[in-house]
Amino acid sequence: MSAIDIELVAVNKSYSGSRIVRDVNLAIPKGEFVSILGPSGCGKTTTLNMIAGFLEPTSGTIRIRGRDQTGVLPEKRNIGLVFQNYALFPHMTVAENVGFGLRMQGRSRQEIADGVGRALKSARLEGYEARYPKELSGGQQQRVALARAIAPRPSVLLLDEPLSNLDLKLREAMRIELKEIQQQLGMTFLYVTHDQEEAMAMSDRVVVMSEGIVAQEGPPVDIYQRPNTSFVADFIGRSNILPVASVGGEGQLVRLNMGDGRPSLLAESRNGVSCDQIRYCCIRPEAIQLGDEISAHGHANVLDGTIAKAVNLGAYIDLWVSVGAQLTLKASIASIRAQDAAPGARIRLSVAPERIQVLAA
Amino acid sequence: MNHVLSIGYRLALCAILLFIALPIFVVVLASVSPTAAVSLQPSEWTFAWYGKLWVARWIDPFYLSVKVAALVAVLSGALGFLAAYAVAYEKCPGHNFVMPFLLSPLSVPQIVKGVAIVLFLSSAGLYQLLGWPGLIAGHVVLTLPFTTRMIATSMFNFNHSLDRAARNLGASRWQRVRFVLFPLVKPGLFSGMTLAFIISFNDVPLSLFLVRPGQTTLPITVINFFEYSLDPILAAVNVSSLIFILAAIVAFEKLGGFSAQIHGGSK
Repeated sequence: MSAIDIELVAVNKSYSGSRIVRDVNLAIPKGEFVSILGPSGCGKTTTLNMIAGFLEPTSGTIRIRGRDQTGVLPEKRNIGLVFQNYALFPHMTVAENVGFGLRMQGRSRQEIADGVGRALKSARLEGYEARYPKELSGGQQQRVALARAIAPRPSVLLLDEPLSNLDLKLREAMRIELKEIQQQLGMTFLYVTHDQEEAMAMSDRVVVMSEGIVAQEGPPVDIYQRPNTSFVADFIGRSNILPVASVGGEGQLVRLNMGDGRPSLLAESRNGVSCDQIRYCCIRPEAIQLGDEISAHGHANVLDGTIAKAVNLGAYIDLWVSVGAQLTLKASIASIRAQDAAPGARIRLSVAPERIQVLAA
Repeated sequence: MNHVLSIGYRLALCAILLFIALPIFVVVLASVSPTAAVSLQPSEWTFAWYGKLWVARWIDPFYLSVKVAALVAVLSGALGFLAAYAVAYEKCPGHNFVMPFLLSPLSVPQIVKGVAIVLFLSSAGLYQLLGWPGLIAGHVVLTLPFTTRMIATSMFNFNHSLDRAARNLGASRWQRVRFVLFPLVKPGLFSGMTLAFIISFNDVPLSLFLVRPGQTTLPITVINFFEYSLDPILAAVNVSSLIFILAAIVAFEKLGGFSAQIHGGSK
């Protein structure tokens, strides 16, 4: 059991009556890369600002390395922070920017030079020491911001959507690099983003926030494959979210009735949502298979329908299939298996019960 | 058509520049003319009047003006910085009202200010403060709105995430002001101080009330002299102070003033 670096206990934040963050509990072990993922306005940046000390929680406790941070000023917290807009000091060179934290700690000239050298090496910015921020590209400024944050060796590094101002290609390259830097340093990273791919690609653990609460928390694969609310299922990846009118059966295998003449589905619930909480179910488009591929698992859901729309994406074909009048399913099928899929064609689909996730509201 | 426009534009520009500069040319010409009549003949030009400036009558007021202007620039800059810090940067309670209040001396005519200060000093029995202490105090009141406004403008433009970044890196309040805020608003501060220096150095209407015999600023000395003589030496005084002011502006600029502001802060 590794030590807990950041711990939030029942943290709340209200602004003039509206609760921005509600009862958030989090425990981030040392050395983990954790992402807080959510749409804008979900309270993720507020949470980050509370951890950094720029905001005080209305109630609840924040501990960093076991120490209660209530009333501790941001400048005393020894937490690194990479800002979305980088916030580099325009009047200082790269080396001065990166050395700022060490200088504020009153380190000697030599220590500052060593620390700056190490941080620039980690951020792959050697040779840029004498440049000013405005002489650098967006990606380079981003690296300076990162180097500046890690140079004083903080216990924890917070990153506030640091890649959102970069173009797609650079963003994808930086994802890999950030993860490598985090592993090299063995530093705890708390990464705030609204980009699910970023969160998925880098994190050991993802915390999905919605309207101020933690909607779900877990390893990226779990979040994707076993979402437990319609919000999470909808926010992360593509999905068919179907309303559930009533639930039959007991234990793990349940029958979901959608009503209105729609077919019923067999689902194997594994995400801990109990029968009486089930309101929706979620089927990922890639979980839907063509009829002739039914894998005999004992149980299967077989659906006959008509192709309403087909979009060929190269490797995959996206199909919109009408199953009866009331239900249209999105399916993503490998192109090679669905070469003759065309609008109007009859098609048989199947979904394995374990690939249908039941969801609470 | 465009060609004609561009010629017209250039002519207009030249006319405007000439209009601005012509009085200066006339004064320069007057200062080298042998008599009160302005001479356009280079062969008659003389620098004799400049030689006559090196007497206590002109040098003493000049020194007083420089001393007052320098102190006013420093005091007005320091007070303006503090005022702007509270109002524009920390956004103190009621900052929306404090700022207009700080700028309100602008709306009082200088003559009125002068009368008010003299009345106040005499009714408070502080008549002996007339002369350089009164000049400095009066000029600080006169220039404070300008320095405050200029520094406040650069503080309004200050990116507060820089302050948060510095805080996050462990900088105390004093360190944040010293290493982040101050360097970035320095151009505004120096512009404000330059302006305060020039306003103080050139001021007549307010200074008229505040000088006392033996402690007179240069512009007041010029006015007093002008009352009974139209000697070209006045032109020589004016040209000299003009050169001095230009030199002062260049010096302030070298210390990190206007051009840094124009070019965006860091050089």
